[in-house]
Amino acid sequence: MTPRALIAVALCLAPLAVSAHHSFAVYFDSTKDVKVTGKVTAFRFTNPHGTIVLDVTDAQGNVREWRAETNAPVVLQRRGWTRDVIKAGETITVEGWPARDGKPYIRLRSATRADGQLIGTAPFGRQDQS
Amino acid sequence: MRVSLLGLALLSCSGPALAEADLRGFWNLAFDAQPNAALLAKLPPDAVVIEDSGAPEYPRMEFGGLKLTPQALAHAEAWRPEDEMTLQKVCTPPSIVYAVQGPFPFEVEQTRDLIVFRYEYYDQIRLIFMDGRGHPPADAPHTKMGHSIGHWEGDELVVDTTHIAPSTITNNGLDHSAAIHMVERYKLNPDGSRLMATQWFDDPEVLENDGARYIEWRKQPGQYIFPYECDPTFVLEYQQVGDGEE
Repeated sequence: MTPRALIAVALCLAPLAVSAHHSFAVYFDSTKDVKVTGKVTAFRFTNPHGTIVLDVTDAQGNVREWRAETNAPVVLQRRGWTRDVIKAGETITVEGWPARDGKPYIRLRSATRADGQLIGTAPFGRQDQS
Repeated sequence: MRVSLLGLALLSCSGPALAEADLRGFWNLAFDAQPNAALLAKLPPDAVVIEDSGAPEYPRMEFGGLKLTPQALAHAEAWRPEDEMTLQKVCTPPSIVYAVQGPFPFEVEQTRDLIVFRYEYYDQIRLIFMDGRGHPPADAPHTKMGHSIGHWEGDELVVDTTHIAPSTITNNGLDHSAAIHMVERYKLNPDGSRLMATQWFDDPEVLENDGARYIEWRKQPGQYIFPYECDPTFVLEYQQVGDGEE
């Protein structure tokens, strides 16, 4: 990607960044659901939000990187999450609300392991803590 | 003498005096709050109650009935949310004007002369002086938590706060000035499981009317405040979204 393209992407994403932390409704579409399965490449467990990075392979074998933004880890901890609850290399499925701008970015509602086990004790709602 | 000794013993207790409400504990925002009419009735009649307590927030250029001064309106129009999402700013805590209603818990410690609110949101700590002192001089330093003095009106805690450093009111471009004045009124529900509050604020530099909120929390025994320790490198995650795509 060229430097100009990088700047364009950064500008495009900036409103998403702010709203993702502060205003769900503006940047995520609560009327739609998205569900992707992929291999974890990184898991950030820091406030104000955690992030799960996934490599998702489609039917044609193309790999696309997705990110799932979580609630604040102070909230996650009360639902059984820890900083090593997800490990790089494992395959998980994430479900949530898609970014309005169509980017491969979602607000996480739930994450499940390959065997279907829910990560944590309960999913997250749209009105949960940030 | 026996009565005097009992009085001395009560005064020496570290907890709240008997006639006051005991607000101690861990309080998490109640997402099913039904505004308490009696508390709302004690707000000044011209105050507009905005409805953004907890997770909801107003979109750009909507302020729930607050009337902005021309200067504040111009500031809000020029405000760009992306400017807030930088390594330098993302972990800057908001003032108590906004933080008090956020969807995070807080913990209360209470003595006769001092009440402490510990907010999980950005690890902020607030002291409410109950010893009868007044506010410091107007030119004293301002902080994000401000200077709070409180008193009891029956079983209701009334907190008066000044000296609040400028910050956001509604997180969408409306910022308050250093002259904002805030009064909160806290009250327990009959069984003590809920803490109800109104927040009133007045800031003629940015608002042509007074604002207020209703906020309610649920008590969660056994819980305690976690460290927030905001990490500003979170903003770098966003900059990587879509990398490698055309």
